Amino acid sequence: MTPYGPVAIYLAVALAAALLFTVLPGLMAQRKPNAVKSEAYECGVEPTSDVSGRFPVRFYLIAMLFVVFDVEAASFYPWAVQMHQLRVFGLLEMIVFVIVLGIGYAYVWKRGGFQWR
Amino acid sequence: MSPPIPYVNSADLHALLPTTVIAAAGLLALVVDLFMSAGRARRWIAVAIAAAGLVIAGVLTAQQYGHSYPAFGGAYMQGGFAVVLGEIAIFATLVSLGLGIGIGRDDQVAGTTAIVLWSTCGALLMAGAGNLMMIFLGLELLSLGLYCLCAMSVRSAARESGLKYLLLSSMASGFLLYGMALLFGGTGSVALAAISAAPPSPLIALGAGLFLVGIAFKLSLVPFHSWTPDVYEGAPLSVTAYMSVVTKAGALGVLGRFAYAALPPATANAILLPVWTVAAISMIVGNLAALQQIDMKRLLAYSGIGQVGYIVAAFAGQTPLGLRYAIFYLAAYTFMNLGAFAVVALMLKDADGSLGVGAFAGLAYRRPWLAAAMTFFLLSLAGLPPTAGFTGKILILASSVGAGYWWLSVLLIAGTAISVYVYFKIVRAMFVRVDEAHVRAERSTNPLPWISIAVCAAAVFVLGIYPLAPSDIIPLAK
Repeated sequence: MTPYGPVAIYLAVALAAALLFTVLPGLMAQRKPNAVKSEAYECGVEPTSDVSGRFPVRFYLIAMLFVVFDVEAASFYPWAVQMHQLRVFGLLEMIVFVIVLGIGYAYVWKRGGFQWR
Repeated sequence: MSPPIPYVNSADLHALLPTTVIAAAGLLALVVDLFMSAGRARRWIAVAIAAAGLVIAGVLTAQQYGHSYPAFGGAYMQGGFAVVLGEIAIFATLVSLGLGIGIGRDDQVAGTTAIVLWSTCGALLMAGAGNLMMIFLGLELLSLGLYCLCAMSVRSAARESGLKYLLLSSMASGFLLYGMALLFGGTGSVALAAISAAPPSPLIALGAGLFLVGIAFKLSLVPFHSWTPDVYEGAPLSVTAYMSVVTKAGALGVLGRFAYAALPPATANAILLPVWTVAAISMIVGNLAALQQIDMKRLLAYSGIGQVGYIVAAFAGQTPLGLRYAIFYLAAYTFMNLGAFAVVALMLKDADGSLGVGAFAGLAYRRPWLAAAMTFFLLSLAGLPPTAGFTGKILILASSVGAGYWWLSVLLIAGTAISVYVYFKIVRAMFVRVDEAHVRAERSTNPLPWISIAVCAAAVFVLGIYPLAPSDIIPLAK
């Protein structure tokens, strides 16, 4: 179990620090509330409505496509770092990956996934 | 400069060839669909491409039979029981796609077909997985597709089904992953073989326990089964049929390899005893709960819980024969279960609907052939001769008695006795004359389920009268 000692210490320190920073200010702070202080902390105009309102479902589509292509683009990095060691094999693997990615891109494009409708 | 990493060779790629073919068929179905005009032909073309890919993959998998090879440094074990489980998953995919000619609306079929094929790839990877990473990769590939497929219907029950499966299955994946992390911590390796070589430690015991909880969830064994009826009921019929076999084939592959190859022999019995207990509870509770169901999909869900209990019971004592018999019973379950689903599909006008048990009333007089087929599949599910279900149960009993698990055998017989009542309620309903005006009689226009019924019935019969087959044809795990 010895190799896990540092992990336990790390967890204990993280927990203590989190508790310290959340509990201590509440205990030590002086409270003199007034109308201006009680406003929501926002830059610019006053919020006029609840933030958790509804918004159109097409945002989700864009968000989903962004996440998919973002994560896939991120998988280029490990290959790029190791490109010289992986040689031709790595290049071929990446070409296959890009083809699959391209088919997905073409599919979304043709089916109108990028149109704002 | 560091020495070159040992790359894959052609034998490694050859081991994954069936999986690659299926994945490529999915891509092809997507691309071809882009150039199709609207209409019903789109369904047939997408399913035809998938069928072609699955048949080729089936042949390629069959060629790997008897050629054991640890591909990718032991990450994927070619040959052994992966071949049989792979064929079962491929066959079940083919039948499921045929039940409604694809899943969803005309313009969704290419997408859903591709997702089904990629999920099957996940099941194939799970069946052959030789290390923890490959197990998790296969499991997630299978599950991610199923989350979408469960919700592929306009009914709100389907949305509920998809969301429930997503939330509960992610929870189970968390257990599994945590277990894997502890196993890795205890052994310093992700390979299953390394776990059996490592000295026993509390980390390994705890990790194996969490790992088995995750697998028991995927197999829907009893304390972890509550998602099954709701998800099966809400999902489209084809997806339910698919889930009931393909996820089981993948998860049983993982459980089999874990129980037989990964656990150190000294502690294996203690670690696995809860699994046999859970299997025994599943046989009883699954069949008892099936008694009360009036929806056909829910009934088959609960009956499936009982059936998986029987299969896992065959592993008890980790006898080599037990593994063969478990796989034999899984094959039998595949045919009888898919046959029953095909009958249900033929009794629905829309493959998306649900079917009450009441629809079977007087079926023998309206559609005698369909009633005869259903009776045969139900006989097999109940475990009566001359069917594969009977032979399979005898073999499992022989294995568990031989391993000294008498209590398991007694509970298996008790579960079977309850299940006979469940299945014969439907059989009786089919042969009772009723006023036709009171029965909601629908017909499917799709002829494909008839082919499935014929194939499944023939297989159930042949496996039933040729009981020596399993020990001859199904090779061992290693």
